[in-house]
Amino acid sequence: MSTAAVANKKTKWMGGESPFDISYGKMMMWFFLMSDAFTFGAFLISYGTIRFSSPLWPDPNSVFRAFPGGFENAPLMFVSLMTFILIVSSVTMVLAVHSGHCRDKRGVVKWMLWTILGGIAFLSCQAWEWVHLHHEGAWVGAFRDGMNMEHLPNFFSENVDAETLRLYGADAAHKFFNFFFAITGFHGFHVLSGVIFNIMILVFTMNGVFDRKGHYEWVEKCGLYWHFVDLVWVFVFTCFYLL
Amino acid sequence: MSHFNDYEADQSRLYNIGHVEDINSEKSKAKVRGIWKITAILTVITIIEVALGLSLADKMGDYRWVLNLAFIILTIAKALFIVSNFMHLGDENKGMKLMIYVPLTLFIWFIIAFLADGSWWLEISQALGYSHPS
Repeated sequence: MSTAAVANKKTKWMGGESPFDISYGKMMMWFFLMSDAFTFGAFLISYGTIRFSSPLWPDPNSVFRAFPGGFENAPLMFVSLMTFILIVSSVTMVLAVHSGHCRDKRGVVKWMLWTILGGIAFLSCQAWEWVHLHHEGAWVGAFRDGMNMEHLPNFFSENVDAETLRLYGADAAHKFFNFFFAITGFHGFHVLSGVIFNIMILVFTMNGVFDRKGHYEWVEKCGLYWHFVDLVWVFVFTCFYLL
Repeated sequence: MSHFNDYEADQSRLYNIGHVEDINSEKSKAKVRGIWKITAILTVITIIEVALGLSLADKMGDYRWVLNLAFIILTIAKALFIVSNFMHLGDENKGMKLMIYVPLTLFIWFIIAFLADGSWWLEISQALGYSHPS
């Protein structure tokens, strides 16, 4: 190591410090999020490819019209609520991380509780959406064998003529719902694991684990994961409900 | 805390164990205000997206791609706000920012290439008579 001692240490890459001024754990979380971003990206782009290659496709404003309480003509309202819930839970997570930076244990507990509540609310909404769609005949592998086709026209825009619907409707709905349940399911699984991690962090905080460590970096790392979950939802929302 | 892994060295400096901000200080309150401000921006962008989706979805005809481009731009704007402010990537080292943002530009090729492929499949399918223009 004599060369290191003699050389003028101009770069951060000479060892003994983090070149990006970031801790190992945080950097690894970012690496994981990058890999997960490409996984979700691959799913969403494959959805786009299949959709662009189809002569007919369901209309999101027609598929997603229900709202709990019996409302059947509120297009996109329920999913807007879900998006709002998840964004707000992301905000409460940022506030929890901020409280962690300030070593405010009570603040961390309070904001983590709100974040967990938001996550559970989102999962409940997603479950309701799935059950509602299932009642209309939509499910993984549906519309394949001519069964439960009564609701099929409801999923398409009124501008579609009957002949096009007859030729391509079932196939399009089949593909749409396969992708929908797979991607929202995969995302929901991430939300669920995020809620579990958040509960763990909450318990650790309440037990004073981070006070003893001297820093709240675990909260920050879970925060990164939670924000990623929110980010993916922003893209899923755009791809399935808007585009 | 005196002996460290040969590769990781002493990272305690990175954990901010030293100077801690008081949650009731003006600096902290300013940061919290900033967080709520970003929240308002994200909410407004979402409302605009939903309003566009509800009002213009069926009415664009051949120019649907303009609406789609608007959705994509607004969504990417939301994503940049979240990554930069909520995930604090905006506060990180330049090398760290590049490490995240540069690989994500792969998506530009990824999206264009695969959507173009999908459109081409439809064109071929229609040309061969398997699908009719809908």
